[in-house]
Amino acid sequence: MTDDQPERREDEAEFSEEQSSLLKITIAPTLWAGHFVICYALVAVTCAKGWDFPTVRAGLLAISCLVVCGIGFVGWRAWRQWNVEETGDFINRRGRAEDRHHFLGHAAFLLSVISVIGVGFVVLPLFFIGGCQ
Amino acid sequence: MRKSGLPEPTGPYPPTEAMLAEPVPDDVQRAQEDRLRKVWETPKGWRYWSAVNNSEVGKWYCLTALAFMLLAGVMALVIRLQLIVPENDLISADRFNQLFTMHGSAMMFLFAVPMFEAISILLLPGMLGARDMPFPRLSAFGYWCFLIGGVFVIGSIFFDVAPRAGWFMYPPLATKDPGPGSDIWLLGLSFIEVASIAAAVELIVGTLKCRPPGMRVNIMPLYAWYVLVVGGMILFAFPPLIAGDFLFELERSFNWPFFDPTRGGDPMLWQHLFWIFGHPEVYIIFLPSIAIAAMVIPTVARRPIFGYSWIVLSAVGTGFLSFGLWVHHMFTTGLPSISLGFFSAASEAVVIPTGIQIFAFLATLMVGRVKMTLPMLWISGALAIFTMGGLTGVMLALAPFDFQAHDTYFIVAHLHYTLFGGMVFPVIAGVYYFFPFIQKKKLSDRLGKWAFWLTFTGFNLTFLPMHLTGLWGMPRRVYTYPTGLGWDGLNMISTVGAFIVAAGFGVFVWDLIRPKKDQPQIERNPWDAGTLEWSHDIPEEAWGVRSIPHVTTRYPLWDQPDMAARMDAGRYYLPDAEEGKRETLITSVIDATPVQVQRVTGPAWITLAAAGFTGGAFIFPTFHMYPPAIVCGAFAVVCILYWLWTSTARPPEADAKDVGLGLKLPTYAAGPSSVGWWAMWITMLGDATAFASLVFGFFFYWTAQPDFPPEGALHAVPGLVALAAMGFAAGWGLTVCARHLNRGGAVMAARLCLGLSSLAVAGGATALIGSVTPLNPEAHVYPATLWALAIWIAVHVGAGVIMLLYCLAGSIFGKLTPRYDADIWNVTLYWHFVTISALVVCAILGLAPGAL
Repeated sequence: MTDDQPERREDEAEFSEEQSSLLKITIAPTLWAGHFVICYALVAVTCAKGWDFPTVRAGLLAISCLVVCGIGFVGWRAWRQWNVEETGDFINRRGRAEDRHHFLGHAAFLLSVISVIGVGFVVLPLFFIGGCQ
Repeated sequence: MRKSGLPEPTGPYPPTEAMLAEPVPDDVQRAQEDRLRKVWETPKGWRYWSAVNNSEVGKWYCLTALAFMLLAGVMALVIRLQLIVPENDLISADRFNQLFTMHGSAMMFLFAVPMFEAISILLLPGMLGARDMPFPRLSAFGYWCFLIGGVFVIGSIFFDVAPRAGWFMYPPLATKDPGPGSDIWLLGLSFIEVASIAAAVELIVGTLKCRPPGMRVNIMPLYAWYVLVVGGMILFAFPPLIAGDFLFELERSFNWPFFDPTRGGDPMLWQHLFWIFGHPEVYIIFLPSIAIAAMVIPTVARRPIFGYSWIVLSAVGTGFLSFGLWVHHMFTTGLPSISLGFFSAASEAVVIPTGIQIFAFLATLMVGRVKMTLPMLWISGALAIFTMGGLTGVMLALAPFDFQAHDTYFIVAHLHYTLFGGMVFPVIAGVYYFFPFIQKKKLSDRLGKWAFWLTFTGFNLTFLPMHLTGLWGMPRRVYTYPTGLGWDGLNMISTVGAFIVAAGFGVFVWDLIRPKKDQPQIERNPWDAGTLEWSHDIPEEAWGVRSIPHVTTRYPLWDQPDMAARMDAGRYYLPDAEEGKRETLITSVIDATPVQVQRVTGPAWITLAAAGFTGGAFIFPTFHMYPPAIVCGAFAVVCILYWLWTSTARPPEADAKDVGLGLKLPTYAAGPSSVGWWAMWITMLGDATAFASLVFGFFFYWTAQPDFPPEGALHAVPGLVALAAMGFAAGWGLTVCARHLNRGGAVMAARLCLGLSSLAVAGGATALIGSVTPLNPEAHVYPATLWALAIWIAVHVGAGVIMLLYCLAGSIFGKLTPRYDADIWNVTLYWHFVTISALVVCAILGLAPGAL
């Protein structure tokens, strides 16, 4: 294929990591979902089988910290990819490869923010509810 | 991986301005138009019903869903009439139970979800500038399944045998219910769910692979984003219910005690599986309807949507978070309060992305120059009502409040506010907005306003008082109530309101179906919208788009002013149909660069026959008539095989063709670049979810029941389980070998592998069933669960063996060659999934007795 956009070849190399996948923007919400399932399943089994609740809770809080760090890392990468500081373009509405690249960064960044908030919400009961009752 | 030797795309891309500006001679244009018109012609006379084009199937689908909705609405009116005064005896308690069960079931399964799919099938190709969806016969098959299943389920009410245990079919009420009612619900709706999943696969692949060249993911219409998210949600939400239905029907038909606590079962498992489906379902309904708002609002505001990325965030975010809410339907079932806490928290969190969407819409309206059109009127009504439903949703997400309001009319009010605001009003807005696109006529402004104000006032009159009725303690689902509890007046108001809503719907439906022969045809793009569907031809043409444009902006009709004229002139891609075949363009997932010309299938009766037999396979068991069901199932398989054999992945007459503007694209694809492979991948994702739900069931019993497995229970025969595992592993290896050997040209060796592979897996399945044969599934839930897992795998292996033999036959009769090998790619993909599930089951059967 020939090309009339001179920068396109460079884009292709630069943005090749997302050439075939939309899944990257779902990493942060998937981490949220995984965290949710672990919390729910582990607590359910703990309550059903009478395992030691405080230990499980401590473990879950540790996992939560890891998950928040993971989402934070994804968010930071996405922020870099969005690159709004340099381009000043919040909207990325044009049909060029770099707009798409920045847009996916933007979407992934926003999803990381919402995922951190989601994890925060889910962790609240671990702080406020002391046992199985 | 060895290349198949198929050509790569060649020629200039993207097209330059000079190339696009080059005129096409008039006679060439006319000849092209004639050929296209002939190829895409809608069949005439009685053959009309063999049509598979998205514009026809979409219309039938919408009208059928509307008809079911109206029937369910009439049921609601009877319910309201019964409740108009205390101690009323208009209908019997049993009839009342049937009515509310069918009202909920029909509205959910026969209206809300199918309506989304119907609208998407109708509109999506237009928005994406595609000629049709990638698998038109699959949409037609889905539609006919829906029609047959829907008529069967809703028809039961006329024979006084309708399901009557509530639309969520809680056991033991539903499992112990005598008569065929519960079976009708289970089998009829399972059948429809299969159709829904088929449509979801079609829509996801359509959105990912059938966008016009240049429509990268950051400029595709928001509706397409919502379709992707909702399609994905259907794949993860519906299968748990199918797994639940499978267990439920095994209990109903064969007395296997999955939900019977006296033999180790647990009704709570049904509630989990049902609501893992049921809560995301609410968002599956809500998101596409709100997507309609996302299409209407920029048009009326005369500016691009504000915060495109934010809306994508909220669509994707809501899609994920909505899966963390299912237990808020089960707050009063006695779960540990910390579990309730997680779900309460997630229920509150989902408000954030939902709110973001609403604010993005409001912001767009505030910064735009709003022209108050009829669709906008309905959208405003929707926003008002949905916000109100959202507020009570926040209240109900708080567990202590929910304990109080649980199963009262407060819930009825809340759910109708969210569903009317989140679904019904936006969909009606969409009907007014898109009617000129669908029928090339406009609906009446005057009637539309009447319909709106009647519906809006009537709705609030009906459901606003119910908040109070509920808070004052009136339970749901009671067929009458004593006087003197303060509910009389409120119920009277609600009933009057319900009839005003009905009058509103009457006006709307009349406007929709009244003859419009004398009405002038509309001008093109009557709302002056910016998205691609409004480039449609007036008068109507069945070819979708005259030529598939190169899109570089979010609102191409606003920002690429020459586009429509160039599309009409056949200046863009695929302006012709020289070979007399229906075709559309396949592009890459992220950047929408053209990769292939896809042949799409034309009118056929076989889809109807396949749907009829599939219907028989589901409907006969309702009446415990198993032999005819098996015969129907066999015929359905034959029909589907015939349809695949004759019209999918056939070797093309030429490897590549010129699609216009000097671009030459391959006409055949196999593996990850083909749409069939994507469809298989996506279907298997759903299938794997259903399987995971069964496995979840096993571990659920383990946590919830102290006697799982019971003391001294028999376990699966370990030797046979090991043999089964070896059979599956060998079969999988041979299948992968067959694919490699075939591509490498060793056709005979590939055939040998295919044959051996089917023997190995069939042996594996036999050993697996043999391993559980000594167990008595009626005695306890432990052997029943092992049996269910083994059956699940055996059925999948059976389908997989048919696929292997299909490839073998394809190889022998020249359908499958080393160069054209899409079938074997898809079958291998299927086997990756089935092998993993089979080995997991072997592990559970073989290892669990020692581990638990």
